[in-house]
Amino acid sequence: MVETQKVDSTEPETGNASTGDTKPALFSFLLERFPIEKMNFHYMVEKKEVPVHRMSWGYYTGGLTFFFFMIQVVTGLFLLFYYQPTVSDAFLSVEYINNHVSAGPLIRNMHAWSSSAMIFFATVHLIVAFAMKSFEKPREITWIVGVLLLFITFTFGFTGYLLPWNQIAVNATKVGLQSIDNLGQYLGPFSHIPVQLRETFQGEASVGQSTLGRFYAMHVVILPLALVALLGLHLFQVQLHGMSKGVDEKTKKTEKFFTAFFFKDLEVWAYAFLALFVLASCIPFESFLPFPLLEPYNALGATPPGIKPEWYFFFVYYPLEMFNFLFIIIASTIVVAILFLTPWIFKGTSRRNLRFIALAVSAYLIVMTIFGEQIYHWWKH
Amino acid sequence: MIDILLYIVLPYLAVLICIIGSIYRIRKEPMTYSALSSQFLEARGLMWGSLPWHIGISLILIGHILPFLFPGQWNALLSNHAMLLAVEGLGYGLSALCLLGLVVLGARRLISSRIQSVTTTMDLVILLLLLFQVVLGMLTAMRAQYGSMWCTGTTVPYLWSLVTLNPDLSYINDLPHAMKAHIVGAWILVLLIPFSRLIHMFSVPISYLTRPPQNVIWANPRHQKEKAEVFARDEARRHFIKASCGVFGGLVLLSVGALDKIGQFFFGPRLSFSEETELMESKLKRLELTAEQRKLEVERRENEFILVAALKDLDREEGKYFIDYQMQPAIAFKNEAGLPQLISAKCTHLGCTVGNKADKEGRILCPCHVSYFDIKTGTPNQGAPAEAPLPILGWVVLNSKGEVLASRSKTGEINGTIATQDAETAQVFIRRADVTG
Repeated sequence: MVETQKVDSTEPETGNASTGDTKPALFSFLLERFPIEKMNFHYMVEKKEVPVHRMSWGYYTGGLTFFFFMIQVVTGLFLLFYYQPTVSDAFLSVEYINNHVSAGPLIRNMHAWSSSAMIFFATVHLIVAFAMKSFEKPREITWIVGVLLLFITFTFGFTGYLLPWNQIAVNATKVGLQSIDNLGQYLGPFSHIPVQLRETFQGEASVGQSTLGRFYAMHVVILPLALVALLGLHLFQVQLHGMSKGVDEKTKKTEKFFTAFFFKDLEVWAYAFLALFVLASCIPFESFLPFPLLEPYNALGATPPGIKPEWYFFFVYYPLEMFNFLFIIIASTIVVAILFLTPWIFKGTSRRNLRFIALAVSAYLIVMTIFGEQIYHWWKH
Repeated sequence: MIDILLYIVLPYLAVLICIIGSIYRIRKEPMTYSALSSQFLEARGLMWGSLPWHIGISLILIGHILPFLFPGQWNALLSNHAMLLAVEGLGYGLSALCLLGLVVLGARRLISSRIQSVTTTMDLVILLLLLFQVVLGMLTAMRAQYGSMWCTGTTVPYLWSLVTLNPDLSYINDLPHAMKAHIVGAWILVLLIPFSRLIHMFSVPISYLTRPPQNVIWANPRHQKEKAEVFARDEARRHFIKASCGVFGGLVLLSVGALDKIGQFFFGPRLSFSEETELMESKLKRLELTAEQRKLEVERRENEFILVAALKDLDREEGKYFIDYQMQPAIAFKNEAGLPQLISAKCTHLGCTVGNKADKEGRILCPCHVSYFDIKTGTPNQGAPAEAPLPILGWVVLNSKGEVLASRSKTGEINGTIATQDAETAQVFIRRADVTG
């Protein structure tokens, strides 16, 4: 309660909107989130201030995610020049990029490294935004759109993984999609629906040309369009409502968003690019996988041993291996629901407690991602 | 004789006078040891003249000094053709920038009435000399291409011969006249340093970039409000200068390393005959494979019976992979009775393909998460990640005339036997009836 009063005092505009009793609730809700009087260059750019405090580094995580997304767009367009999305040609075209195209391996490598970096920073951004209570009124829409963006980012990872059409990718995709089938056993009379859903998604009974076509369309057109649209809304909201204050105590110092913070953001991007470029030119992304590009997909060949999803799925993959499927489904449904309802569930929680939750979640993610395999083996024996 | 005067005597004289004169002027008239800024008289023209000129000339001078200091490394660097082009291109661009700056600065000195009153003849001489230098430099770059390359064999050793007090004119004897004039002009400029505004080059405030921020405290409360803003602006400017240097350096490095590669990326690969042939052949092979798989799929959609293998080809240890009616992999073994034993190869855990080699206990292994499945029953081992057994498939054995010799139904009952004389020709099939029921 104290919290909301504080916010009201710093945002006098929100008070005006809620006094209009005659307006329907939805209308006033939207009006508070989209205050028309603030929609101008002066308010959204010139006047914007960024608080300076010990959590200020959190303000850069979103920008970094955006930066790596831009890298993905550029390198992705480059790859699009040579990639061919057909079952018979996909693998060869990737091999062609690697062996014949100038800077091909570098571009491909940057795309791979940057995808991981984008997912990493999107996750960090979510956790930090949570710890800083950046979802507070009137920033609910920013938060929800952000969660959607995170899901889109993960879907990017999942769909992009299939495109090289190598043995490991197709098999991993099969395994991933197959887990939808397992839902059927809990649905009683509707048990056939998950299979039907999966086949619709795949476009055929098994992962094949139709699946590749769909994943390709999703990866290069549908998801980017969706992401750009939502990102536009996300950034618009961020500029409209300004940076959240981030800490419970009052901050004394602020800096101008433009140019001070903006240039610092660019500087961080420059370092990120340097790191990415050095990484991509020195270390092939595949060197961390037990299986390099390997061989093209062959339906009759055995699955390569040690098949695992990308590291960013470990946090859900290992629990899936360890626990009952129904338990995982229920747990993840709850987590997703909490994510979407966060602005209302944690409305009154202090930032100190939010930080505690964020730390606990980070600890889980880090431990599961790094030691997941060991934990899995320990659990099984 | 005149050569000795211009290229040996003049340089030594110029450097000597420059050093002594500068020290004398800095000691005796320290207040004049600057460029005598005219910014408060006229600022707009100054910005469009001074900035391009100083940015251009600083980088151009660095480009003159680097090959002098590190001729070996410089040559190595420029042996990369892209790098050579980049350096030359940069040189042209920066010279043009200098030229633009000089023209604006000169016009300003000549046109603006306020500036004219503080302009000395020496200022105009210096401007004219600099203009000549830039034009001569550009002319040389255009007439005798790749000066950044040939300088390490001509002017650099000439300069070094001067530095080591062993002057040798043979290095520059054959240079074009424009270049020779450029050299003479340079020495005259050095000579004029202590007598002109050029002396301000010794007072460049480089420490500005690294010194701690200065916060001017105003006694007058009227300035109190502006203070923070001015301070922030000053800080931002310093930050901007440093960042620009970083970005510029980064871009240069990036263009050295990546730009020609990226250019080639768009130009596209030109494969040799053998490479192209190999590529096309592997494409054909992949296409055949894909077509085959597609055929399998459609075949399963249409036919009641699908051939697995000839009965004699089946083995007890090493199974034969085939594709079942659901387009999933399955394995065909032979059991002790000499009858087929067909088992799904799609792991019931996460859908990996199970291996086809049976171990001593008659089990096959799913390599993904280590589940062992009994071939006879399909049951996984205790504690395996897979909980459900692999389905055992039904089959029919037909002789060459297409008569049913034996079959295994979905429920597992086996009908008929196979006589030894038929075993050679008999073939194993799967039936759609066993799947759809």
